[in-house]
Amino acid sequence: MSTKIYITGYGAIAALGNNVAEIKASLFAQKTGIRQGEKPYSEKYKVGEIRFSNAELIEHFDLKNDASRTALLGMVAAKEAFKNHVLHPDIRTGLISGTSVGGMDVSEKEYLKFLNGEVDNKEVYRNHPSGTTTQQIAASLGIDAYFNTISTACSSATNAIMMGARLIQSGQLDRVIVGGTDGLSQFTIAGFNSLMIFDEEWCRPFDETRKGLNLGEGAGFIVLEGENSLSKTAKTPLALVTGWSNACDAYHQTASSPDGSGAVLSMTEALSVAGLQASHIDYVNAHGTATPNNDLSESHALIRVFGEQVPPFSSTKSYTGHTLAASGGIEAIISILSIQEGILFPNLNFSTSIAETNLTPILTVTKAPVTHVLSNAFGFGGNNSTLIFSKI
Amino acid sequence: MAFIHSITSIAHQDTFAKKNIWDTISILDETSSLVHPDYKEYIAPAALRRLSPILRMAIAASNYCQTTCDSPFEAISVGTALGCLTDTEKFLKTIHTTSGSILSPTAFIQSTHNTIAGQISLELKNHAYNMTHTQNSLSFELALHDALLCVNAGKSNVLAGAADEAIDFLNRLNDSLIHAPVAFTSGATFLVVDQKTSPIELLAVDLHFSATNYKDSISKFLKQNGVLFTEMDAVFVANNADFSPQENVVNYINYSGFYHTASAFGMHMAHDWLLKEDKKYALIVNNLVADKLGLILLKKTNK
Repeated sequence: MSTKIYITGYGAIAALGNNVAEIKASLFAQKTGIRQGEKPYSEKYKVGEIRFSNAELIEHFDLKNDASRTALLGMVAAKEAFKNHVLHPDIRTGLISGTSVGGMDVSEKEYLKFLNGEVDNKEVYRNHPSGTTTQQIAASLGIDAYFNTISTACSSATNAIMMGARLIQSGQLDRVIVGGTDGLSQFTIAGFNSLMIFDEEWCRPFDETRKGLNLGEGAGFIVLEGENSLSKTAKTPLALVTGWSNACDAYHQTASSPDGSGAVLSMTEALSVAGLQASHIDYVNAHGTATPNNDLSESHALIRVFGEQVPPFSSTKSYTGHTLAASGGIEAIISILSIQEGILFPNLNFSTSIAETNLTPILTVTKAPVTHVLSNAFGFGGNNSTLIFSKI
Repeated sequence: MAFIHSITSIAHQDTFAKKNIWDTISILDETSSLVHPDYKEYIAPAALRRLSPILRMAIAASNYCQTTCDSPFEAISVGTALGCLTDTEKFLKTIHTTSGSILSPTAFIQSTHNTIAGQISLELKNHAYNMTHTQNSLSFELALHDALLCVNAGKSNVLAGAADEAIDFLNRLNDSLIHAPVAFTSGATFLVVDQKTSPIELLAVDLHFSATNYKDSISKFLKQNGVLFTEMDAVFVANNADFSPQENVVNYINYSGFYHTASAFGMHMAHDWLLKEDKKYALIVNNLVADKLGLILLKKTNK
């Protein structure tokens, strides 16, 4: 039993905007959300920071108190995605969220108090587990038929979308909200700093002079429905998820293989699941973190999969920063916008192609017919995943 | 159809690479500690030095499972509730105690939940599907459920498993993070699921996220699988309170100690119990946390 997987809702928050409409406007204006950080631990870096404190998020978006930033951002995006939907006993509805650090932003503060010999609030640690962030997002929507958290680092949301599509195809769920969320924390910023892969300037994906990434934060969720659910909700689908794949690079815990083996596997398999040829892809929303390692490896992989006809591609992390587990969710929405609008969104801050691969990303907002979009996400642990979104 | 091909655990019992763990297991006393295998047999010395306990346990158990298969795993699905806590805590301490900006990245790199599945793939040079599920007390059942999806989609030798590790700090959080009847501990269980027949069939996995009436949920699940609760020859549970003493109930926490994915050890106990007994059905009931319910149904194939 195979059903088409329809997308019938989307919601996001990132430094680029507080909802999909704002994000779309920023993309059209080629306006990045990355700025100098404002928190004590982010002020040295350029980051895609959302300018609401946790308390401001709760007030502005009318959210449940006592949750981590990851959960709060997830609630904002998931609520927007599900806003025109209603729960119904005949439509089994689940939620799958990807996150890398869960409630770290609140637990790290209490843990610091503990280390300093001060009194920490033990209740705060209840918000730490990644699974709890998802449980809180699910509760905010009243979903209790199924929820799950995928944690495959930077490909978490991509894998959550894939998991959702598989659960619908296997008949386990009718409708599922899928995506990811990650709030910035000192833990993450210190971690990527320790890896020495930050660019102190604006990140330059696929540029010869790229030095590293800018971190970001946010959440992005989409609603998936099978035919069975769609016949009941009567929604007008925005697009389809037609291909998905998850493969493992098995090369190094954090670095990508030089020839992009895992990425080639995941893109090839996703094309095969979608029943498409490489030549059918109109746009690639690349992982494109702007680290020297990722962009070279991904460029090699693109050439291995597409040959001399690499489709128009860009990394929209130059707008959002690398939002880690959320990136696959936010980039899924950008891919859907590309299909809806017939627009290829450009890669910012690019001037010179990587000498070894000589690929040039999209440089201006370009009108083009977009039927199939391929979106990559590669994470620590060699967790490489690819999704294909298609026009209805 | 899905069958269990090998299953192994590292726990407070001598349960690693054993023919049947019922030859050695007993109810734990408070002085027991983890029984580690000789990791050098499964992990290269250079890697071993930098690996935290959870990674050592998961890699050794997975490598053992791979040795029992004739071809590489075609999917790897891991569940962990709290992930790599040793490295997470180590990196948090480093951030707060190191002045200047030079930090060692090792603990950070090994702190993400998917380090477990990632390191398994890296050790085995395995390029297949690789997934990490983390949903508190139901993390193992979600990983196993995914493994079943993989088997039903035609994948062979699917590795499923769970690992969690305790750090001392967790005991401070008893009664806030979770209400644990005994001290937190660590454990890892990994198994291979395949369409090929074996003595024990994995009939079904079921998940409930707001279970108000356990008995109803269990009856409904069993009915969907064509059996009755009275046909269960043994029921392995995390909490006896929901069952009467007449119901052949075994509390697996008494054998594994407390960790969120201990139901994987409960499944190992159920699997080996069916292997040795002349019985047909075993049910694993993960009722560790109120209103969250995981159900796993096993059947002996020659019965």
